[in-house]
Order: sequence, then structure tokens, then C-alpha cells
Amino acid sequence: MIEIKTVMLPLHSFPVVKGDVILKIVLEQMNAKRLGIACVVDNKSNLLGIITDGDIRRKLLSYQKPISAFFVDDCINHMIDHPSKVELNESLNIGLDLMKLKGIWDLPVTQKGVLVGLLHLHPVVEALIKKENKIN
Amino acid sequence: MIKKTIEVGYGSVKKVTIGANLPLVFIGGPCAIESREHAFKMAQEISVICDKIGIEWIYKSCYDKDCRSSPDSFHGVGLDEGLKILSDLRDEFGLPVVSDFSDSQWGAATGEVCDLVQVPAYLCRQTSILRSAAKTGRPVLLKKGQFMSPWNMKNSVRKLEAHGCNQIILADRGTFFGYNMLVNDMTCFPIMAGTGYPVCFDAGHSIQLPTSMGNISGGQREFIPHLVRSATANGINALFIEVHDNPKKALSDANTVLDIKYLENILFQAKKVHELRLELLHELGEDKIHLDN
Repeated sequence: MIEIKTVMLPLHSFPVVKGDVILKIVLEQMNAKRLGIACVVDNKSNLLGIITDGDIRRKLLSYQKPISAFFVDDCINHMIDHPSKVELNESLNIGLDLMKLKGIWDLPVTQKGVLVGLLHLHPVVEALIKKENKIN
Repeated sequence: MIKKTIEVGYGSVKKVTIGANLPLVFIGGPCAIESREHAFKMAQEISVICDKIGIEWIYKSCYDKDCRSSPDSFHGVGLDEGLKILSDLRDEFGLPVVSDFSDSQWGAATGEVCDLVQVPAYLCRQTSILRSAAKTGRPVLLKKGQFMSPWNMKNSVRKLEAHGCNQIILADRGTFFGYNMLVNDMTCFPIMAGTGYPVCFDAGHSIQLPTSMGNISGGQREFIPHLVRSATANGINALFIEVHDNPKKALSDANTVLDIKYLENILFQAKKVHELRLELLHELGEDKIHLDN
């Protein structure tokens, strides 16, 4: 049984931002961490929402402001609130089922609302393959 | 978003509050302090008009005009003399005063005297000026540069906030439209108000034609009342107009300062339009179209 905490990305390795960070900075952090998701948190690290590559793509197709105005918007205005997430003490299967159901690659991990990590499909698959190989 | 209210005035002067759903505030005076006598005369005459109309106001005049087009233009009475005049004027009239400053080393002295410190439009993104303005501890009147988009003013706001200032008023004074020409984009008010801070319309400088006369700026004063009505209906919290008792002889911005004989009429209209806007706001509530975006 693989535990979520053993395969999730730790806080420093994915983009975590406050709501008043401008979108330009968020996009740069997503580039730097090579992930298509940023988690938005409050001052107590409670997860408020997420911003994903897909959200940005959809925004670009519907947003009627100049791109320079888009860049300087507070990210909280563009996040998806009440995002899908999994609790740290849940089983990995629950997380994976949720990712499959929603068709997503990344799932924030929280502990009583506080962001503690991120489930990213690649390391999860890697861990599952390793486990499978050991069994065989 | 929390809409902030800014209180201008320390010590014994009248406190003027600027913010959402509050009465319109007037900020005005001659562009430059020309002499003690002239400054006091203007304060007296504007006071009479504002008292008659029932509009609170802040006296504005600068001690140093560092952005003049020509080296031969009047530069101002200087820091020491100018601030002494403003200080005495505060005491005499019990009015809050504002001056800009264009050298970061002048910020502290300006804040010692002035109730509101102004960041000039041309310098609105200069970190040293913004830091100096924030350090005064006074509210800051931050003019939008003619070259700046309204949304990018958030960067200047963030610089002020980073240095401890959270009492800011954002002002529009027009945006460059090619060379020697300004236009007013009225969407700048709701955009700048999106920062949560009150917004102000600088009517006199908006009709300026920057350096259009070769070595001085021109202006189209006849448009001031039109723009004032438009901006006030749009939703501003303060109105800024430089006024003079003899524009042709004004030592600074002679082509844009408003003749004081027109001030009462313009302020009366602005106050009425503002009150109507507040009445409609009360009756119909805030616009909600942006929520669909």
C-alpha cells in the first residue's frame, strides 16, 4: 500500500502563491517548476484555489482585456476555487480515482484544509510501476 | 475587494475624507507657488467658492516645478520658502495642503509640512520617489503617468505599499495619444479603483498639449467642464483642477490653469453630478456586468 505522503511533491517543488501575486509571476513559477498547476493559499497556507495551464488557455480565449492587463491581475481573480483535492491520510487509490474521474494530472494534498503537497501523475505512476516490478 | 477611505489632514487643520460613496473632494490651487501674497489670495478666493458650494477641499501648489519644458521657465520658489508658505497657509486657513516633490531627498521635508504628498506623473514609477513618499507617513496622491496604462499603476501602488504606505489616491491626468496630445480613457477610473484606493480626476492637466508650443505646453481649457462632467459621472472620489486668478500671467502652466472665475460653475456641476451618481448607486446598487466575465 503506497501512502500519499511518500509520492506527493513537497511544497517547495511546485508553485504555491498568495492571492495577490500577479498572474505574470504565477506563470513564471509554473515554468520554473515545470508544472501546469499553481496552488493559491492564504496566509495560513489554507488552499484557496488552483490555476492550471488549461484555465489560462480558456481565459486567453475569452478574456477581453489587453494581455498586459491580464499579466498584472491578481491571481486570486483567475483561480478555480473549491478545487478537487485529497486529504493526506486518504489512500492513494482515492486520489487516483479522483484524478481519473476529473481527467486531471495534478491533485493538491491537504491536511484539514492546509496545503501540504501535490499529487502529480508521473511520480505516482513511477511508484506504482516500481511496486509492480517488486511483486513480480 | 475592500474600498479604502483616505483621511487627509493632521494637527489642527480640517480633516478631509476621500473615498467610496463619500462627497466629492476638490484639490486645487495655482500650479506653482508664485509668492506668499498670491498663495494666500488664491486660498482665500477658493475657500469662498468651496464654502458657498459646500465642497471640502485641499489646497494644492508646488514649490519646485522640475518638469518644465524650457530651462528658462519659472522653476518655483524653492523647497524652504515654498514649504514655509504652505505651512503658514495651513495655519491661517486651517486647510490641508498638498505639494508634489521631484527629488527623493525632498520627500521628508515635504511630508513634514504637507497633509498629502503628491508623486508627479512623470515620476510615478520611480522607486526612490515612491519610497520617499511612503516614508513621509502621509497619504500619497499618485498621478498616473501619461505613458502608463491604468492597470500597470498597480506596480507603483505595490511599491508604495512595500514601503509601508496604505493611504493612496490614484489620479488620472490623461494619456499620451501620439506626440503632444493627451486623451482621457474613462475606463481608467474603474480599473484604478480596482486597487481598492480612491480615484481622482486631474482635469486641468488632462487638457494639456504637452510641449506643443515648442518650449512650453499648450492646452485646451474649453474642454475642462466637459471632462469634469464625464469623469464625475463615471465615478471619482476627488477632483483636481489647478486654478489661477490671471492665467495669462501664471508663472506655470499658463495654458492649462483654469481661470478662477469659472471655478464655481464647474464645481457646482461636479458636485451635482456626483450626488446624482451616488443617488443612483443607492437606488440601483453597484454595476454587476463585470461579474459575468
